[in-house]
Amino acid sequence: MNRLRTVMFCVAAAVTANSAWAVSAGDPAPDFSLKAINGDATVNLKDFRGKVVYLDFWASWCPPCLKSMPLLNKMRGRLKDEGVEVIGVNVDQDEGDALGFLKEHPVDFPILKDVDGKTPDSFGLQAMPTSYVIDRNGVVRYVHEGFRDGDIGEIEAKIKDALKQK
Amino acid sequence: MSKIILGVLAVLVFTGCAQVKPWERDVLAKKEMALDPDPLHAALQQHIFFSKEAASGGYGTGGGGCGCN
Repeated sequence: MNRLRTVMFCVAAAVTANSAWAVSAGDPAPDFSLKAINGDATVNLKDFRGKVVYLDFWASWCPPCLKSMPLLNKMRGRLKDEGVEVIGVNVDQDEGDALGFLKEHPVDFPILKDVDGKTPDSFGLQAMPTSYVIDRNGVVRYVHEGFRDGDIGEIEAKIKDALKQK
Repeated sequence: MSKIILGVLAVLVFTGCAQVKPWERDVLAKKEMALDPDPLHAALQQHIFFSKEAASGGYGTGGGGCGCN
């Protein structure tokens, strides 16, 4: 009985350990350097210091992203003059899928591509989609996993909180 | 002897388990890969099982193949 308990504890520890080191509120956002999905521009996260960044990891095969992208685009339109930028990092294995998605649902904010998945790995992504509110100093303020109706209100509130800080 | 063979077999079976990161689930997110491709049909089946056999449960949780929600 004791041995079974030990085994079960080890399994539980192994299963939950992965989320322990994921980037969470208060951690500095890992820097990245990715190419834009259209054109050749390379974008670094630290280029956006001084702005509040809403970093969204998305993919064409992720149904909640279908809901979130147009809403994020509208939100970005409302907030961009206050010093907010939305950056979408696409993790599709096939770039064609992402471009097809963007044709149907165009957005105004920069979309970067990461086919190898190195960036979501460095953030310790636990779910798709996941997005991060990063303040002007490059520190993560809020992690948002998934996307349901009504989430956009909470996201906008957290971005406004980050804007208040210097 | 048979315990050793069983142990080796178990290890070989577990090599078939791949660790899939959340952002690599594109193939798993396809409709064909869902445990339950037609939710309406499945709901009907579950209702029938319940009323005819008083059987319920044993089905997986929802949330979509992409682990999004």
